[in-house]
Amino acid sequence: MLADVDVEGAERAASELDGDARAVRCDVTVAAEVVGAVEATAAAFGGLDVLVNNAGVEISKPMVEHGDEEFSRLLAVNVGGVFMCSKYAVPALAEGGGGAIVNIASVAGLGGSPLLSAYCASKAAVIRFTEVCATELRDQGIRANAVCPAFVGGAMVDRMVGDFEAATGQGFEDVVAAKQGRLGTAEEVAETVAFLASDDAAFVTGAHYVLDGGLTAALL
Amino acid sequence: MLEGKVAVVTGGAQGLGRAVAVRYAAEGATVVVSDLDAGAAEETAREMEGAEGVACDVRREADVAQLVAGAVERHGRLDVMVANAGVSTVGPVAETSLEDWRELMSVNLDGVFLCVKHAGPAIAGSGGGAIVTMASITAMAGVPLLAPYAASKAAVVSLTKTAALELRDQGVRVNALCPGFIGTDMVARHRAELEQGLGIDLEEALEHAQGGFGSEADVAGVAAFLASERSSFSTGSAFVVDGGATASLV
Repeated sequence: MLADVDVEGAERAASELDGDARAVRCDVTVAAEVVGAVEATAAAFGGLDVLVNNAGVEISKPMVEHGDEEFSRLLAVNVGGVFMCSKYAVPALAEGGGGAIVNIASVAGLGGSPLLSAYCASKAAVIRFTEVCATELRDQGIRANAVCPAFVGGAMVDRMVGDFEAATGQGFEDVVAAKQGRLGTAEEVAETVAFLASDDAAFVTGAHYVLDGGLTAALL
Repeated sequence: MLEGKVAVVTGGAQGLGRAVAVRYAAEGATVVVSDLDAGAAEETAREMEGAEGVACDVRREADVAQLVAGAVERHGRLDVMVANAGVSTVGPVAETSLEDWRELMSVNLDGVFLCVKHAGPAIAGSGGGAIVTMASITAMAGVPLLAPYAASKAAVVSLTKTAALELRDQGVRVNALCPGFIGTDMVARHRAELEQGLGIDLEEALEHAQGGFGSEADVAGVAAFLASERSSFSTGSAFVVDGGATASLV
């Protein structure tokens, strides 16, 4: 089930997938819509086994220029949305005998990056939240893990490159090549998510799996 | 997941190493089962399709160099090295002899160093691949009575990070695997000492900390992921498989 505020986009994406894929409108900050998405999924497929908390937004500008309301809005989506979806998915996951929650965090949750104050704070919160969920939900057979990608090629990075170069005076491509070798791909993130959702990761819970080409391993 | 790949697993005749070797073979890899005990290595290899057993003392550089060179000679390439061989001791720091400390480090740290040193270039020469080092969650938090073991595993995580950076441009990924308490013979051997020394019932403590013992197959599943192209953007990281043990403070 593809859940998105852009339900038409979700329907388009669902139609391109093999197998039975469907779409539902869901604003992760609105409890009623989250409950509706969980119910729609259970009704369509007879249950729920995996929740991927992916919905997120970014702001890339200096901390002092973050608007008061947009800062709160970012936390509402990136952290509040993870909370909301996890909370309302747990009964459905437990009913099927357990399952897996995979949260899309970021290396921005492990270290600071200029211009990303709200984003970094939100992803650090997601990692910690994941750890508590893992402990609390273990007895219900629900695992909770996070993935932490570095810069991945896609629309979010495209939007940020200009701001990044202007603020840091460094070429984005040079930074990526030096720090993480290359941009990651969305498919690579998907592989790690799929792994964490699978039985091969049966004893993995409360963890955050990093895919960053060595970015966080390096001191310099 | 590992069709056509050639993999070496040190300490592959028992415990986690054996489970990893079995899984790799099941995924289609040609596995070189290396162990200090040559007979056990050969016996283990016989249980798998297309595997072979090789004697190797990972403390000896000549042995490790020959292990890697031999694998390349016989199979034409090396894609994966699992630096798994390790030993453990139990006892307070204040009662640990320097001799025992050094003996443990010679296996757990020197051995991993030698495997990375020799396998890195061989894997690079085969067009790239993956090294998986066997660390432990004791690299991340203290456990009374396990100081030498924990320190060696923390050093393995550190070595993994630097090696990953050095080998990145050659297409060699290096990641550490950090299991929690797994139901291995190694843990069974130390169980009484740990329970007595820590004043705990291990079963009960682990039930609380990580939902019980993990299985060797649980670790092998993550080891397969890290050796495969499924983890192609991951390098220099530590991958925890511990049932949540390190996720909780209490």
